[in-house]
Amino acid sequence: MYLVSPVSPVFLVFSVFLVSLVFLVSPVFPVFLPRASLMFRMIRVDKLAKSFKDKKRGIIHALDHISFDVRSGEIFGLLGPNGAGKTTCLRLLSTILKPTGGTAEVGGADIVQSPEAVRRQIGFLSGDMGSHARLTPREVLGFFGKLNGITGSRLSQRIDQMVEMFDFREYANTKIDKLSTGMKQKVAIARTVLHDPPILILDEPSAGLDVPTARLIERFILNAKRSGKCILFSTHVMEEAEYLCDRIGVVHQGRLKALGTMEQLRELTGKQRLREIFLDLLDMPETRIEARI
Amino acid sequence: MKLKISAAVYQKELLEIFRDRRTMISMVVVPLVAIPLMFNLINRFMSSREKQAEGESITVGVLDESRVPTVLGALKAAGFQPVLKTDLRAAVANKEVAAAVEETGDAAAGKQVSIYIDRTRQASDIAGDKIRTALDKLKIDTVRASLRGSGVSEKILTPFTTQRVNVASEKKMSGLIFGSALGYIVILLMFTGAMYPAIDMTAGEKERRTLEAVLCSPAGRNEVVLGKILATSTAAFITALLTLGSMAYSFRFAPHASQAQEAFHMAPPDLASLAMALFAVIPTAIMAASIMVAIALFAKSYKEGQSYLTPIVMLAAFPAVVGMLPGLELTPALALIPIFNVCQLIKEIFLGEFSRAAFAVALGSNLVYAAIAYYIASRIFKSESVLFRV
Repeated sequence: MYLVSPVSPVFLVFSVFLVSLVFLVSPVFPVFLPRASLMFRMIRVDKLAKSFKDKKRGIIHALDHISFDVRSGEIFGLLGPNGAGKTTCLRLLSTILKPTGGTAEVGGADIVQSPEAVRRQIGFLSGDMGSHARLTPREVLGFFGKLNGITGSRLSQRIDQMVEMFDFREYANTKIDKLSTGMKQKVAIARTVLHDPPILILDEPSAGLDVPTARLIERFILNAKRSGKCILFSTHVMEEAEYLCDRIGVVHQGRLKALGTMEQLRELTGKQRLREIFLDLLDMPETRIEARI
Repeated sequence: MKLKISAAVYQKELLEIFRDRRTMISMVVVPLVAIPLMFNLINRFMSSREKQAEGESITVGVLDESRVPTVLGALKAAGFQPVLKTDLRAAVANKEVAAAVEETGDAAAGKQVSIYIDRTRQASDIAGDKIRTALDKLKIDTVRASLRGSGVSEKILTPFTTQRVNVASEKKMSGLIFGSALGYIVILLMFTGAMYPAIDMTAGEKERRTLEAVLCSPAGRNEVVLGKILATSTAAFITALLTLGSMAYSFRFAPHASQAQEAFHMAPPDLASLAMALFAVIPTAIMAASIMVAIALFAKSYKEGQSYLTPIVMLAAFPAVVGMLPGLELTPALALIPIFNVCQLIKEIFLGEFSRAAFAVALGSNLVYAAIAYYIASRIFKSESVLFRV
C-alpha cells in the first residue's frame, strides 16, 4: 500500500520517469504529445476572392470572398463539386495564383506580401500532379530538397530518411517512368513532406487512384495530423471527407455554403450521410457554423 | 535571387534533356551524322558529275571520217572518239555525242569547220572547248609548217602570249555558296537543338503536370526561369559545338577531306577560328533559348509547343538564308541584324577574313538582343494567365 500511495517517494520517482519517457519517445511516436492543447491557427483565410476574365463568358468569380481558418493538428476538408473553386482556393494559398480580393495568411505569412515565406512552410500535393518520369525517386527528392534550401549531407540524410519511411529502397534509383501508380504516389508524398513543412495543402490527393493507393494517401494524412501538421485538403469523395476531416467547408460556385464539423452539418441539415448533407447544402442559402474546437 | 536554386533547376533540366530521346536526336545525332553525310553527298555528287562530264565529252559526232580529213587527226590526237552520225545537230541535241564537227568548203574557197555543241550541257561545253583548243593548235601547226619553207620567222605567229586568269570560276562560285551555307546550317541546327528542350521544360512540364510542384516550392519564378533558359541555351550551344566540330572533322580528317575543301572553297579551320566561332554563337544561343522558352510557355502540350516553335525556326532560317548570298560582306551596320550577323561571322571566320569591328558589333548587339529576349521570357513566366491557360 505504501509503495503506490501518491506521496511515496518511489511513486514520485517512477512517475517522473514515466513522464520523461513520454517526451523522450515523442519524436518517434508523435501521437503521445498532447498537441491538441497547442493548436495554432496556421491558415487564416479572410474574404479571399479570385476572378478571371474570359473572352466569351466575361468575368468569372472562381472564388467569391471565402473565409475560414485551419489549425495545426487539424484536417480541414474543402468539399465541392467540380469547378466549385476548390483548386483555385488551394492555388491561391500556395501562392501559385494571386488573389483579386481579400487576404490570407499561411503560417503567419501573407500570401501576397511574402509568398516565398508561405511556400517555405507548405507541402503541396495534387492528385493530377505528374511525376518527373525521366528522373529517379532519389533525383526528384534531391531536386526538391535543393529547391527548399536543403543541401549537402543534410539533404542526403533526409532523402535516406524518406526512402526508409515510405519504404521505396528497392526502386529509389529506378526511373519513375517504370514505377506503378502506387510507387509514384509514395514518391510524390515523400516529395511533399521532404522539407518537413508544418502545413500540408492537398488538392484532391486521391483523385484517380485505386483503393490501395488511396488508402496510402489516407494513412499519410492521418499520420500528418498526429504529428501536429495543419492539413487543408480538397475532395469530392464523400467517404474520404467523412472519414478524415475534423471540419468541412462546403464550396459551391465559388462561395462557402457551410462550414462545421460532421455533427454540426448533420444537425444543420437533419441528414445522416455526408452525401445527403452535401446535396442539401448545395441548394441551401449560405450558412456558417462556428466550429467548437 | 538565389543562384543555388537556379543551379538546381539547371542541373535537373540538363539531366532530363540528356535522358530525352527526341532532344538527343536533334542535339547530338543530327550534327554528328547529318553534317558528315551532307559533306560526303556533296563531294560524291560533284566528283561524279565531273567524271560523267569528262567521260561523255570524248565523243564527237562526224558525218563520215573521210569528210573531216583536215581535223580528224587532231581530234584523235586530243583523245576524241569519232562517232558516225547522219544528223549532227540532232545527235548533239539528243545527247548521243558530246559535240559534233563538220567540214565545209574546199582548200581553194577556204575551209570552214563547224563545231556543234549544246551549251546548256556541261559535257558538251567542255567538249566544245577542247575541240576548239585542238583545232587552234592544228591551225598554228599548219601555219608553222607552211612558214618553215618560206623563210619567215616562226616568231611572227606569236607576237605575244595571252593567259587567262580566272578569279571567279563557276566552280568557285558554287563553292562559295556551299561555304555560305555553313553558317546557315550551324544556326538552323542550333535552333532545332534548342527547340525540343525548350518545349520539354515548359509545355512538356505543363502537360505532364510537374510544373505546379516546382512553382509551389520556395524557389522564385526568376530563379526557375534562369535555370530553364540556361539549360536550353546549353542545349543550343552543345548543338552548335557538335555541328562546328563535325564540320571541322569533315574538312580535316574525313575521307575526301581535300575534295571537301575544294568544294567548299575553304581551308581546314584551326582551333582558334573554331573557338572564335563558338564564342560568337553564345549570345545567339541565349537569345534562341529565351525566345523559344517564352513562346513554348504559351502552349499547353508538347504538340502545341511544336507547332508554335516550328515557324520560329523557319523565321530564324530566313536571315540565315540571306547570309548565303555570295559576295555579301559583314559591315558594322549589317552586323546589327540578329542571326544574319552570326551566320555571316561564322562564314567569314571559316574563310579567315572577318573584320574585328564587325565581330565586336555583332557580339555586342547579340548580347543586347539576348538580354531583351531573356527579360521578356522571365516576364511571361510570371504571368499566371500564361502558365495556367485553360
